[in-house]
Order: sequence, then C-alpha cells, then structure tokens
Amino acid sequence: MLSLDQFLLLGSIVVPAFVSLLLFAGFGNTDNFAKKLAYIGFGFPFLAGIVLFFRFDEGDNGYAFEFLCSRFGLQELGIHFHLGLNGVSSPLFAMAGIVGLAAGLAAINSGADRIRLYLALISLMQAGLMGVFASVDLFFYYLFHEFALIPTFIMIGLWGGRDRRSVALEITIYLTLGALLSLAGLVALNTFVDAESFDFPSLSKALADSNLFDSTKSKIFGFLLIGFGILVALFPFHTWAVRAYDAAPTSVSMLHAGVLKKFGLYGLIQVAAPLLPESAQSWSPLLLWLALGNVLFVGMVAIAQTNLKSMVGNGSVMHMGYCFLGIGVCSSLGASSAIMLMVAHGLSVSLMFLLAHYIQRRADTMEMSEMGGLAKQTPLLACFFVAASLATIGLPGFGNFWGEFGVFLSLGQQSSTQFFLYFAALGIIISAVFGLRAVARIFFGEPSEELESVLSKKKISDLSFSEIIPAGLILFSLLLIGLWPRTISPRIDVEIESRYGALDIKVAGSDLPPCCPAKEEKKTATSPLQLKD
Amino acid sequence: MQPYYETEGMESVILSVLLLPLLSSVVTLLFLRKNGNVASLLSVATSGGILVFSLYIIFQTGDTVFAWEMTWLKLAGWELKFGFLIDGAARLLLFVVSFIGFLIHIFSLGYMHDDKAKPRYFGGLSIFMFSMLGITLADNLIMIFVFWELVGFSSYLLIAHYFSTDEAAQASKKAFIVNRVGDFGFLIGIVLTYWTFQTVNLQEIRNLVDFDPSLVTTTLCLALACGFIGKSAQFPLHVWLPDAMAGPTPVSALIHAATMVAAGIYLLFRIDFMFTVDALSLLATLGATMGLFAGFCALGQRDIKKILAYSTLSQLGYMSAAFGLGMPGIALFHLMTHAFFKALMFLGSGSVIHACHHEQDIFNYGGLRKKMPITALTFLTGVLAISGVNFLSGYFSKDAILLGAYNSNMIVFVLLYTGALLTSLYMFRLYFLTFEGDSRSKSAKDATESSVLMTGPLLVLAFLSVVGGYHTLFPDPIVGVLLDDISRVAAMPNHLWMVVLGTLAWIIGGGTSKLFYGRAFNGEPLEARFPTLYDLCKSKLFFDEIYGFYVSKIQDPFARFIEVMELLFISGLLVRGSAGVSALFALLAKACYAGKIHAYSFWFILGIISFVAYAIGFLGN
Amino acid sequence: MTPHYFLFLAFLLFGVGFLGVVIRRNLLIVLMSLELMLNGVNIALVTFSRVGLNLDGSLFVFFIMTVAAAEVAVGLALLVALYKKRQSIFSEDATLLRN
Repeated sequence: MLSLDQFLLLGSIVVPAFVSLLLFAGFGNTDNFAKKLAYIGFGFPFLAGIVLFFRFDEGDNGYAFEFLCSRFGLQELGIHFHLGLNGVSSPLFAMAGIVGLAAGLAAINSGADRIRLYLALISLMQAGLMGVFASVDLFFYYLFHEFALIPTFIMIGLWGGRDRRSVALEITIYLTLGALLSLAGLVALNTFVDAESFDFPSLSKALADSNLFDSTKSKIFGFLLIGFGILVALFPFHTWAVRAYDAAPTSVSMLHAGVLKKFGLYGLIQVAAPLLPESAQSWSPLLLWLALGNVLFVGMVAIAQTNLKSMVGNGSVMHMGYCFLGIGVCSSLGASSAIMLMVAHGLSVSLMFLLAHYIQRRADTMEMSEMGGLAKQTPLLACFFVAASLATIGLPGFGNFWGEFGVFLSLGQQSSTQFFLYFAALGIIISAVFGLRAVARIFFGEPSEELESVLSKKKISDLSFSEIIPAGLILFSLLLIGLWPRTISPRIDVEIESRYGALDIKVAGSDLPPCCPAKEEKKTATSPLQLKD
Repeated sequence: MQPYYETEGMESVILSVLLLPLLSSVVTLLFLRKNGNVASLLSVATSGGILVFSLYIIFQTGDTVFAWEMTWLKLAGWELKFGFLIDGAARLLLFVVSFIGFLIHIFSLGYMHDDKAKPRYFGGLSIFMFSMLGITLADNLIMIFVFWELVGFSSYLLIAHYFSTDEAAQASKKAFIVNRVGDFGFLIGIVLTYWTFQTVNLQEIRNLVDFDPSLVTTTLCLALACGFIGKSAQFPLHVWLPDAMAGPTPVSALIHAATMVAAGIYLLFRIDFMFTVDALSLLATLGATMGLFAGFCALGQRDIKKILAYSTLSQLGYMSAAFGLGMPGIALFHLMTHAFFKALMFLGSGSVIHACHHEQDIFNYGGLRKKMPITALTFLTGVLAISGVNFLSGYFSKDAILLGAYNSNMIVFVLLYTGALLTSLYMFRLYFLTFEGDSRSKSAKDATESSVLMTGPLLVLAFLSVVGGYHTLFPDPIVGVLLDDISRVAAMPNHLWMVVLGTLAWIIGGGTSKLFYGRAFNGEPLEARFPTLYDLCKSKLFFDEIYGFYVSKIQDPFARFIEVMELLFISGLLVRGSAGVSALFALLAKACYAGKIHAYSFWFILGIISFVAYAIGFLGN
Repeated sequence: MTPHYFLFLAFLLFGVGFLGVVIRRNLLIVLMSLELMLNGVNIALVTFSRVGLNLDGSLFVFFIMTVAAAEVAVGLALLVALYKKRQSIFSEDATLLRN
C-alpha cells in the first residue's frame, strides 16, 4: 500500500496526465468544466511539490519517498519505474510545481480558443515535468522529458505568435536532435557498463567497478554534453530558444524556459559529471569557453533587442551560461551554486514571461519603444516588473544572487579559471544594462505615441486579483530563497558533497594559493569571536 | 587589543535596529499604498526608533568591540556568515546615519507634504536605512557586498521617484549601472580575497595580514577599492552623482551627501590594513585630482543641487586623499563633519526649492535672505564650514588633511589647496547669488520661510556644523576611533603655516566671489571675464559626453553587430546551413526518382550486376 | 562441336535481349526482349547439360519456359491495361511518378 509521500509523488505525475487524458477525450464540454479540471491538474502537483519539500528526509542512498514498481517497465533491460527525490531534485521538483501552477493559472485565464485542447496539452506537459525530477531511473527520466517536450512543438505551432509555423518546425528538429544525442549518450552509458538497473545509484556503482577506456568515457561524456547542451541552449546551440520563446504562448514559455530547460543541467550534474569525473575534467575548458560565450555573446544580443519577449528570452539564455560555468568548473561549490541558480532562475524567468504577457495585454504590443510611462496607469505591475528584473540581474534579496555569487566564487578557486571569472563578472553589468533599460523604456518617462493612441481607445487597468496570484506566488518564493537561502541549500549541499567527492579531490590538490601555515593556532589565540547560533 | 564586549542580548538589539526599517517598508508596501500620511508617520517613527536603539548600542558597547555571527548559507565548504561587528568606526557611522537620517525624515514630512506618492517615497527611505545600516554593522565582506547592492537599489528607487520625467528615468538607470561597474571590481576583489585568505571576515583577515603582510597585493586592494570608486563616485565613475539630483532633495541630502557616498570611505576604513603603499599613493593622487576637478565643474553650474553635488564629489576626493596619505581616521573625521554641513546645505537648498516652487536655477534666485532668514543663516553656516572658516567643524578636518598632505606629498597638497580655494569660491558664489542682492524672478519674490518641520533640522545641523569639529565635546564611544589620527596630526610640524594658508584660502575665495557676485551684475560674470575658463568648467571635461558617446556609438552598435553576426553565422550558417546540407542530399537522392521505367530498369540491372560482382569477389571482400 | 559456339550464341541472344530491355521505348518490344533473354539462358543451360552429360540443365529449362509463359501472360495483361489508361504503350508516356 502506498504511503502518503509515495501517493503524493506518484500522484503529481498521474493526476495531470489523467486530467489531460480526460480533456483530450472530450470531457470538458463547457469551457468552465475544462478549467475546473485544469485547476485540479495543476493544483495537485503544486501541493505535492510543497508538501514533499517540507517532508523531505534523506534515505539510505540519498533518496526519499522511493517508489519502485517492478512490473511496469522493461526488466530484462534493467529498466524499472523508480521514483524518488534526492537533495538536488527536491527543490527543483517544488519549483516545477510552483511554476506549473502559475503557468496553469495563466493558461486558464488566457482566453485562448480551443481552450480544452490547450489545457490538455499543458497538463500533459506538467505531468512530464514533474516526472523528470521525480525519476530515479534514467529511461523514465528521458521518457518524461519527451512527454513534456513534444506538446511544446504542438502548442507553439497552433497557439503561437508570429512565425509560429517555421519556429515549430525548427525547434522540433533541433530539440529532437539534442534529445537524440543525449539518448545516445545515456544508452552508451548503459551498454558499456554492466549495471543491474538503469538508475543512478547502480550505474555509479557499476562504473566504479568497470574498466572502460578513458577515451570511451570521454566520448560518452561528449555526447551527453552536446546533447544536453542543445536542450539547454548552450552557445552556439542557443538560437532556437529565443525564437521559440518569442513565438510561444506565455504558459509554454514559462514552463519551457523555467523548468524544462533545467533537464539538461540536472542531467549533467546528477548523471554525467559524477559518473565520469575524468572526462568532465577534460571537457571542462571547452564547456567554460562556450558558457562564457553564452554570458557575453548572448548578453550583448539581449542589449540590442527592442522586443520585450526577445529580450527576456535572450536574458534567460544568458543566465543559463552562469549555470554552465558552475558545472564546468568541476567542483562541488560550482555545482551546488549552479543548482541554486537553476531553482531561482526558473522562478524568475517564468515571472518575467508572465509579466511580459500582462504588459502585452495592456499595451497591445511587445515593442518597448511603443510603450512608456506605464507606471502611472499600472503601478502594481510596475512594482512586480521591477522586482522581477532586479531578481534576474542578481540583486541580493532574491535567490538568483546566491547562485551567481557562488558560481563566481567557484571560478576564482583555480588560477586557470580565474580568467573566466573576470569576463563572466562582466555579465552583471550587461544584465543591469538591458534589464534597467527595459524598465525605463516601458514604465518610466513619457508615454509614446502608440501608447497614447491605445490609451485613447481603452482604459488600461492595473493587475487584477487573478493576475496577482500567480505572480505573487513566484515572487514570494524568490524572496524566500533570497532572504533565507538555507531553505534549500543544506540538502543540495549534502547531495553534491556525496557525489562530487571524486572531482573535488582532483580540484583541491591543484594550485590553490598558499595560506598561512600557523593560521589555525593564530585563530584560537587572538580572536575569541563571540559565536552564537 | 580592544577588550570584547560581553553581554547577552546585544545582538537582538542590533537585529531590531536592522529589521525595524525593513518591517516598516514591508508594511508600507502591503497595506499603506494609498495612505500617505500614515506611511510617512510610520517611517519617521521608525527612524526615531532606530536613533534610540543606535544610541543604546553605541553607549552600551562603549569602547569595546562587539562581534556576533550566524551562518546564512553553507555550500560545499564555503560558509557565509551573517554577523555584526561593532567597533569604533561602526559606532561613528551608526551615529551619523541614524541621527542625520532621523533629521532628514522629519524634514521630508514638510518637504514632501504635497507629494502624491508619499508611501513610495517613505517606503524607499526605510529600505535605504535598512541597507545602509547593514553596511555599517556588517562583519564580513560578502555581507557588505549584499547590502552594498541593496543600497544601490534603494538609490535607484528613490532617484526614480518622479518617474514620469525622462530625466529621472535616465538618471536612476545611470546610477545603478555605474554602481554596478564598481561592484564588478568589488566582486572580483572579494572572490580573490576569499581564496587568498580562506575567509572574508574582516577581523580574521586583519589577523592574517598582521601575520603575513605579503598576502596582500596591489591588485587585490585596488579591486576592492573599485567598490569605493563606484559608490563614492570617484573618477572615472563619478558621472552618476550629478544626474542623481533628479531625485527629491531630501534623498539627495541623505543618500548622495551624507551616507551612501560615505559608505565607500567607510569600506576603505574597514579594510585599510589590506592596502599596499602603491595603492595608497594612487588613491591619494586620484582623490586630490577629483577634489580639484569637481571644484572646477561646480564653478560652471547654475543648478543649486548640481553645485552641491559637485561639491560632494570634491569633498569625497578630500576624504580619499586623506585615506591615501595614511590618515584613515582623518578621512572618517572629515566624513562626519562633511555629513553635517553637506546635509545642512542640501536641506537648506530643499527649503529654498520648496519655497520657490521647484525653481532650481540660482540665477533666478536672489534676495532670499530677507524672505527666509533662518534658511539663509543656517545655509551661511554651512558655507562657512565647508570653506574651512576657522574654528568651525570643516576647518578642523580640512586643516588636518592639508597638514598631512603638506608633510608627505607636495603634489597632493597643491591639488588639495587649490581645491580649497575653489571650494570657497563656488560656495560663496552660491550663497551670494541665492540669498543676497535683489530677487531676480517672480518665484523668488513670493518665497516665504518654510515650516518648522523643515527649519528645525536646519538649526540642529547648523549647530553641529559649528561644534562638530570639537571632538572632545563628543562622547568617547563615537569619536574614539578618530583619536589616534588626530593626535598624530596634532604632532606634525608646520601647523601654524597651515593655519595661515587655510585662512588665506577662504578669505581669497570669499572675497573674489563677493567681488563678482556680491554686487550687481549682468549674466554670469565669470563667463564675461574668463570665457575660456568658464567654458572648460561647464564642460566638466566632457565625461558625460564621452560616456554617452560610448553607449550610443560604441556599445549599442556593437550589440547590434553581435546580433547580426549571430543571425548570419549561427542561425544562418550553422542552423539553416545544416538544414541546407541535408536538403542537398535530399536533392541528390531525389534525382533517382525519375519516373521513367527505363531509368528504374537500368538501376535495377546495375544493382544486380554489382551485387553479383561483389558476391564473386570482384569488388573486393 | 565445342560448347563455345553454343555459349556464344546464348550470350549473343542474352545481350540482344538486354539491350532491347534497356534501350527500346516500345513496351511490347521490351517484353519480347525479356523473352529473348530467357531463351538465351535456356540455350546456355542446355549446352551445359549436354557438356555435363546429365539432365539437370535441361530440367531447369522446363521451369524457365513455364515461368516465362506465365510471365508473358501477366505482362501482356498489364500492357493492355496500361494502354487502356494511357492510350500509348511507349515508356515515356508513363511518367506520373516523376518528381
């Protein structure tokens, strides 16, 4: 019989999938009924995410709430339906629930036509997203990712903005290519190593015992890196992301940029790097250079944008660069900061897309030059937007700061990566430039002519109650992590420490600058700090 | 080694000092958005509470050091602590911030009385107090950085108070971005510090440096000083401060005169043990140059607030020079006296601006002494103090700096002394044009004295500007940190000569300006007599234009260039290109589907033949 | 009577039939050329049967002849159907599947 935790975990995948099935089957005859079903479909994963977050308690091999169903799967190949949360996936799971609820509420209130179908597809996507972070078995991890990815193509093609046909085609091919490469890597991992099952713990055990050539391991890591890199918009494989977010409907952008993108990074941190430490080290310079390209190159492109949604899309790709830098450094500090940044970035970027949608509803345009002075009509929206912008550019008080700062700190550890520190830190200036420029162009100053004509035709109102709820939910979570990062950091810390032990030994022995030999005695003798906790 | 303070509960007092303004701003944000009066009273009450608690902390810790910390974040061996360090410097700045903050809150009640967005203003002031107190009380570099950025944010919020004007929108953006450039250097400095010392706690670093001075490098301390350069608007990041005058005047007084810009000097003081000789001399020269340069700029300005802003830049240069000359205590001393008279003058200008219905050009003032006697008198006190008139507060601190410069670095001394001449020149110019002579516009004619809410703080600050230099009058907990350097300076030679020179400076400056502006004139006398000099001053050496040029002609086109490159090469060549290559293969394959029976039969037979040939072994195995 | 002459004849027949299939446009002629090819193979088989002094080749000839007859029937039926559709039995008129 299922315990409450297992029920919640399983339900967070099954309930949205079931809702989606009902909606596909035509149950929502009236739009209202469809919306009610959708509330359940998004509300349950949100509740599950929050409740399981607070009830989290590590098990023996680092996983909590494990649920293993052996009859459902391909046992001969070693694939089992194995669910569970560990220290790294628990905050991501909760984040997926929060962003999912916000995106779902935005979708329900979006007024799209054929809303039953739209909600069905988004519920399916949500089921996939929750499954990605809840899976322990690699096969189902990949399967749920595809569950979440494929509805995006359909939704962009049907409900998207300008260019939607060509964009849908482009990202279908591009992302399937990325998924294919990563699948090749995962399958190679399973084939070359004789593991008893396809999940992380047994794979790591088997890899430790195997004697693969280093070149083979390096090739496998390469496949995983490029495959996941395409999925997460690593430079130079990032151009699909901006076009996709520009064309996609709001909820799809929120879920894709906020949650789905983290799949690749999560895979790299959980699977690739700890299982293949030497290959991670050898690929590290390339990864660092490409990530730097993300930060600087895409950052400059963001500055050149005049369309709000393109700017937000470019900004999100730029901040993924920081996560990659954290991974590329191959130290536990870098990896744990990357995870913190992933959680916070997911929240902040989805909030930005949501607010961009609200702005578009009011100003009838996404071009920033056609807005101006909106803060007079919509002060609350302005407040939210300023908060979201400052969160994305890494102001302390929001969660992004801790992740970014940790990444910078990890870059400074070795003299070989300090070069990257100098250039990556330029990113804080670049993001401030485009972030604040957007705020000034949209909300401050005098209204532009186009906005004046819009104002003469209709009244622009401030945020309504149904609009405040999703935005407020995300902002509250961001502030919580920002002000009290120990909400999520201890469990991340424990998990990463246990996995990254091998890498850290290699890193710690390298060229750390020499420190005072007698530092320890000096400390106790002359500085009796009053430590209170 | 100072004794440590041992008591229970001090950290809760400090925490309440820190959290009280945060709470006030949150309450304002959530509940009081429409209720301006309650918000303003709440904010003023909070600042009063802060003052009371701060005085308690100051006097309870006396001359001991109090340290406390707790873990804020722990990731993979890096442990970030949230802690407090109350030593002499902290007490001094705590006093300055809380006292002047309280006075400015009271002034704001009067100044912002008719403003429509009072809740936003007072909420912003509370956030600012929270952040500034965080910098004051912090015990490690990362915590200082956190509150550093938050101070930048509150400055952004408050400068953008009149957001419907283009001026405020651009100025707030500029302030934040230029600050961020400084923070970029600061961040790199902190990261390097962490890996050099394995800690960012100030006391621990001090002990480690004592133990092994070779750990610090010039690069390290200059990187950390980038934060100072950004926040305290030193060269080359000074361009945001004059533009920041677009915010309400009390904001300029609090943030851009007394406290936030002083945070940079405070930071330098906190890490002064990390500076190498080269870095110090660089800072001294830069500071002295800034002092002189800003003086020239102030001479060419017509807006009353911009003159005061450049004057602040100049005085910050003095503080930097004092620090660079090896007298950090004197820098703090000047910080304190400057806070008094600069806040006084900003508030005085606020009173004038409010009375003249937001007219800010001094050439449209005149004769206000008769209309606003209290404002005029207090303003005059401030002018006298900043010019270094003997026995007022500014005299003591400036005299100490000049004496130190004379005895160590002649170039710096010459720069600073010329700066002192200019200071009295432009300050008296400001005074004469505003308060003396006849009213030159209608708004000046209709001016009346401001309410007691505004003149009260003016009087208090005027009193402090007079007696602020007599450090013996102040309680020991506050000024204890200054005593070392003050006695060092008192023991220096050439003291009498310096007094003479200092007196000469303000007499010459004041006299010249009385000559030009005290009597009737047409237009701008300086422009008439010395046109090239005036144009040079007005140009401010084209820094704003250079940065504007950089942004519009270099940065933005470069960004567009990168965008085009991305479209061409990545989207075009790589993505569309690979699609094109596959299309090419598809075309080749399509050629086989000719639709003619003959072609199919031909290929079929060819296929059979090659298969048979392969099977025989003709084509190789 | 060496087998070379017979094999040469068989090769000639086969070659002419092959060329006919590849080159000729008239589908009737193509069918006839196919028959020629088959007959060429028949002669070769009979020759080898004679040379090897056994009946294996000759036996296979019977199979081929039967299959050829069936094939001709089917082929001519297809040709008639094609003519009914296209009013022509030339291969260049049957190009609907051309790109």
